Amino acid sequence: MTYPVELRNVSFYYSAGTPIQVAALKNINLKIGRGELVGIIGHTGSGKSTLISHFNGLLRPSEGSVIIDGEDLGNDKETLRAARFKVGLCFQYPEAQLFEETVAGDIAFGPKNMKLPNDEIQSRVLKAAEFVGLRPELLDKSPFDLSGGEKRRAAIAGVMAMEPEVLVLDEPAAGLDPGGKNEILAMITEYRKRTGCTAVLVSHSMEDIANIADRVIVMNGGTIAMDGTVNEIFSRSAELKNMGLNVPEITRIFIRLRELGYDVPTDVYSVEKGAEILREIIGRRSPL
Amino acid sequence: MREKLIELNNVTFTYEADEDGTPGYTAVRDVSLDIYKGEFVAVLGHNGSGKSTLAKMMNAIYEPTEGTVTVNGILVDSEEKGDEIRRIVGMVFQNPDNQIVATIVEDDVAFGPENLGVEPSEIRRRVDEALKTVGMYELREREPHKLSGGQKQRVAIAGVLAMQTQGIILDEPTAMLDPTGREEVLKTIIRLNREIGITVVLITHFMDEAVQADRVVVMDKGEIIADGTPREIFARGEFLREHSLDVPQSTELCRRLGFEECILTPAECVEKISSVLGGAAQ
Repeated sequence: MTYPVELRNVSFYYSAGTPIQVAALKNINLKIGRGELVGIIGHTGSGKSTLISHFNGLLRPSEGSVIIDGEDLGNDKETLRAARFKVGLCFQYPEAQLFEETVAGDIAFGPKNMKLPNDEIQSRVLKAAEFVGLRPELLDKSPFDLSGGEKRRAAIAGVMAMEPEVLVLDEPAAGLDPGGKNEILAMITEYRKRTGCTAVLVSHSMEDIANIADRVIVMNGGTIAMDGTVNEIFSRSAELKNMGLNVPEITRIFIRLRELGYDVPTDVYSVEKGAEILREIIGRRSPL
Repeated sequence: MREKLIELNNVTFTYEADEDGTPGYTAVRDVSLDIYKGEFVAVLGHNGSGKSTLAKMMNAIYEPTEGTVTVNGILVDSEEKGDEIRRIVGMVFQNPDNQIVATIVEDDVAFGPENLGVEPSEIRRRVDEALKTVGMYELREREPHKLSGGQKQRVAIAGVLAMQTQGIILDEPTAMLDPTGREEVLKTIIRLNREIGITVVLITHFMDEAVQADRVVVMDKGEIIADGTPREIFARGEFLREHSLDVPQSTELCRRLGFEECILTPAECVEKISSVLGGAAQ
């Protein structure tokens, strides 16, 4: 059985072989299944970005192997090149990396590198722009004329236009207002519904991860400290706190109520569900 | 009578058109706002609403195109006044990696007062005090690049404190931080305001930070569209969502449960729910 992304005993050292060698990843074993939406959380410096940079060969492991779609990236240039297109990586604050003369040019950058025919490139640019909600008249503008939110969309469209099998997004909603953030998250959900692609989302927002992910990976000190469902991970509130993380605000409320002796569940990750449970309990105890 | 620290009178700011054809636009339109001494004011608004431009005028980084800005009674009417203004209100920015200049934490904090020509013994005293206030004294000999994001932001805040400013403006200081970093920085900001009486203007996209303020100002398309206590503002969930904002999860939960008062924090929420359940625990 092959996985879109598989890491076997991967370690990565910065300044390898020097006295200041630092292990950023330590013996990581990881399999990401087809169609999964994996959320990655971890404090700053826990190894999240180093980890995802291995998914498309941007960083090569110091030890161990990275296997993309059954192909060991090894040192074969062609396999490595193919991985760049199979795994689309969108970094934090990607708008800082827009550099073409027009928005269309920026979105076309990936597909051009894939050496697709021109008409295919054109159609992908239009499709991706429409998908992220960029009006067609913006496509001929300079990326610098776009608003912050529009630039972010253009950068994400550039990755989507490669139609990768795995979409990897590092903090796609950081710095956006709540409305903009919700739009980006809805966009990712919709994109997966349409394409069935595998997705990896790195975020500091426990609320967003709880909302959107099927599976959560917790990075700590360059290792995978936890790996499980939203429920399995966020039920370990005290351990998460020790790793500089947290659980969603709504979950904290239910944990506290439970501590106070109320018979409520603590696996509550959305306000909707929380309200439903409490309405039921309040209705039972006191006819309001 | 409450004294004003920052006064904006009918302030407009227009970015000029670029040579390469980028059109100019008005980021802040006819805004009047007074920030009082000792206040903690949160500024909310969608991306591009003019929050950062407004903040930069409060700190004399920008001069208004129209209208006047007065800081502690000093009218900001020339670039030369910038240094004087920044001794009264300091600023902390979003990216922790862009604002640290020195290679040792305490040198970074000393940078501002050194530039002012403060006596070395006085610098020492101010640096130590500022680092203790933000909880970074133990790490004063560290190299800044080895610190976490939250620690770096606290060093940046200490740098402002060492200037002995009366006010501090923070432009999304926690946007790039992990949950613990956010919590550390928010706690530090609250302490500066409540224990030392420093005036705080906090620009943020996090509603759970804004609820800690005395007053919340909401911007939209360059204008102030609401100004009130957190309880007044967050009672208007529908209005906020229309302007690309939101309310904290605690507030939304209590609204859905039909509670009349506006609840702001998880602690208030838990208290309210237990009172409704009437000590029915166990």
